[in-house]
Amino acid sequence: MLGADAVTTAAYCGVVSIAPVEQESVSTSEESELDVPWITLVWNDPVNLMSYVTYVFQTYFGYSRTKAEKLMMDVHVKGRAVVSTGAREKMEADTEALQGYGLWATFQKDR
Amino acid sequence: MARGFKRKGELFVAKLDAVERGLVVGLMEQVRELLEPDEPGGDSASRSAKEQGGDAFDQIVAGLGGSGWGVSVSPEDQVPGAPASPGALEDRDPALDRLLPPAHREDEQIAAEFRRFTEHGLRARKTANLSTAIAALSGAEEQRVELDQPQAVALVVALTDVRLVLGERLGLRTDEDLELIEEQVSSLDDDDPAVYALAVYDFLTWLQQTLAHALNR
Repeated sequence: MLGADAVTTAAYCGVVSIAPVEQESVSTSEESELDVPWITLVWNDPVNLMSYVTYVFQTYFGYSRTKAEKLMMDVHVKGRAVVSTGAREKMEADTEALQGYGLWATFQKDR
Repeated sequence: MARGFKRKGELFVAKLDAVERGLVVGLMEQVRELLEPDEPGGDSASRSAKEQGGDAFDQIVAGLGGSGWGVSVSPEDQVPGAPASPGALEDRDPALDRLLPPAHREDEQIAAEFRRFTEHGLRARKTANLSTAIAALSGAEEQRVELDQPQAVALVVALTDVRLVLGERLGLRTDEDLELIEEQVSSLDDDDPAVYALAVYDFLTWLQQTLAHALNR
């Protein structure tokens, strides 16, 4: 039987925002220094499930459940979240890995 | 009737009948075909896997008599518009852009450079992951599907790729689109392919939801 009883609209992430990113860099660890100007962003999309996004943040970054859920909610509510901060090469690697999981990830210089 | 994934000790267990398993496997094979790195004489392992997979899917479809199996995510079967054209980003299948989105939102040059360095590897990894998931589901002979942790991870990721492609084919870009599509589809006949495609999408969503929850425990 085909059915999706367990899934409600709330399970989907909401509207994709193309608004410029605010200066709200989340420092992820002790490695955030003045000379570490790049960030990885995850953008909202209507396909990825909240539970899955939380799972990916925990699995890939090793973030706690609480932190992973907070970032997921930021993606969901604000349209995007800074999920990691660091050197450009690291952000490129994070972006590549998150795209591997099917998340809408980008990287850019933190402004 | 299908039962979603639950964690049982080290295993992830669901109940899916042959039609449901065949449906998921068939869609994963189509997405794998879309993603396989296109290089002349590419690696033989993935090509032979593709051939085997194609045969298996054809057999399943043939065995089922085809009714209701009209869901295709293949670019050739989509509404006329942009045909897939490897290399030319403007013309390429929009589903590929969902699977491999531009990695920089403002700087096209950075995005192009990133794509040049990562696309082949990403395609290869996604292809391999889909193969793992396909093998895991194809292995089940009874309704009971038992996956170990690596297989469960492969499947939850593979279901994302399938849903991204199917979502793109359905025109799903925002939450509003989903409601809109549901509304449009509710007025169609039950045998309309769009009705079936949406039901399949919902089924995959439900299945992935149960697996993601089980993995989060």
